[in-house]
Amino acid sequence: MIITKKREHNDLMENIKNCNSLFLLGCSECATLCGTGGEPELRAMKEMLEAEGKRVTGTFVSKTGCQVLGTKVELKQFKDALAETDCILVMSCGAGTQTAVELFQDKPVYPANDSLFLGNMTRIQMFDERCSLCGKCILDKTGGICPVTACPKGLLNGPCGGTNNGKCEVSADIECAWVRIYNRLKRLDQLEDMKRIAEPKDWSAHKKPMSLNAREKKEEVEK
Amino acid sequence: MNFRDALNSGKFVVTAEIGPPKGTDIKEMLHDAEMLKGKLDAVNVTDNQSAVMRINSLSICKILLDMGHEPILQVTCRDRNRIGLQSDLLGASVLGIKNVLCMTGDHPDAGDHKGAKAVYDIESVQLLRVVDSLNNGRDMMGNEMKGATDFFQGAVVTPEANPIEPQLMKFEKKVSAGAKFFQTQAIYDIDKFRDFMKHARKFSVKVLAGLVLLKSAGMANYMNKFVPGITVPPGLIEELKAAGKEKALDAGINIAARHIKQLRDEKICDGVHIMAIGAEDKVPLIMERAGLL
Repeated sequence: MIITKKREHNDLMENIKNCNSLFLLGCSECATLCGTGGEPELRAMKEMLEAEGKRVTGTFVSKTGCQVLGTKVELKQFKDALAETDCILVMSCGAGTQTAVELFQDKPVYPANDSLFLGNMTRIQMFDERCSLCGKCILDKTGGICPVTACPKGLLNGPCGGTNNGKCEVSADIECAWVRIYNRLKRLDQLEDMKRIAEPKDWSAHKKPMSLNAREKKEEVEK
Repeated sequence: MNFRDALNSGKFVVTAEIGPPKGTDIKEMLHDAEMLKGKLDAVNVTDNQSAVMRINSLSICKILLDMGHEPILQVTCRDRNRIGLQSDLLGASVLGIKNVLCMTGDHPDAGDHKGAKAVYDIESVQLLRVVDSLNNGRDMMGNEMKGATDFFQGAVVTPEANPIEPQLMKFEKKVSAGAKFFQTQAIYDIDKFRDFMKHARKFSVKVLAGLVLLKSAGMANYMNKFVPGITVPPGLIEELKAAGKEKALDAGINIAARHIKQLRDEKICDGVHIMAIGAEDKVPLIMERAGLL
């Protein structure tokens, strides 16, 4: 899921200083699990804004904020509240915010959260980054642990000289990705995988902005 | 005799390093370089060491070359992508630089520009292959170039890394990627280093033991605590302590000289790389006490 964090209060207030009224848009998926854009957070935001003298014309937690058409349909019921608001404050990720930007051509849309990473939830509201969405998966060669993500240098051919009793030189809170990979491959009797030199990564596999039409592929298969 | 020939001749070679300063005043650095002239087989020039922004390695290599030094261009993958690295390597070649040391490079987090984007487009093993390719007249994509480089390329290894197995696997990758020589991370335990060399001797590469000059017991303790892959044994720390504050540096020089002598007399490795870190002017004294001058 996309991990989000509430933006600094002052940054948010600076963004909306010229808006007297706001409509709050959350998301029932990632932002709800992150505690940044579910019902409780929208309620708290509404209270805070009203205490700051703003008017909240409406609040809504969309089902999937990054789904443009679905969100458009869901928001039809808030026609009036949306018509009278000065701006939309989106309490999901950068993708959710830009759904709103697409839907509201004539109103400013502001993000209430910073979008951090694609995360795994390890415990309630605790998240780790394990995949960088690099465009070309190498997990088959690295014992299923991604060094592009888990190593701060993204090294592909083994640990650097900074590995320190299995910890990373960047932070003792980080386990050395390559020691983890080594230990796992050893356990699986697949150390041969680590002996092969990995070619430089093809970063063109993640050329921004990425776009995918999975529908075309499906149609081709059907033909 | 150039560095490559010196190593191949079987001579016990000595290299040291010069760290380019931050800023354009290079007087002190030139003074150190002058003192080292004629004494070393080659001198490394660090590449924004510890991710602290300084003059680039290439410019200082060229200045040292013109002074009559044999420079080793340290190249890290932290700050340049594959295009920048190859381009700079070609530039180094036409400026007459013959030796390169390929490294991954300390993370920006260690330095004075912590918000910098860490590049690491390629890394040490891949960079060694790139150099090999440039030496064969092709860029890393296989495109033919007008004129090839003629680099003597090396790499680094941490003999006391913990755990050691993945480090040794990477060492072997570096060998097969074309590394001709290795300069190691600092070592202080000669017996442990001998074990590493037993492994390294299986490959046809030259190894220079890295020696960081100990300046005080405090420095030794600091390195033990904060520098990965470096272990100063308690006996040496005691020796520095016993020397007292004023004589600690002198004791450190003695330790380095003694280690160099042992490494050479017992033919443990092919040479040493002395990292004096801010006390470059003491390198000749270390060499003298080791019986090298």
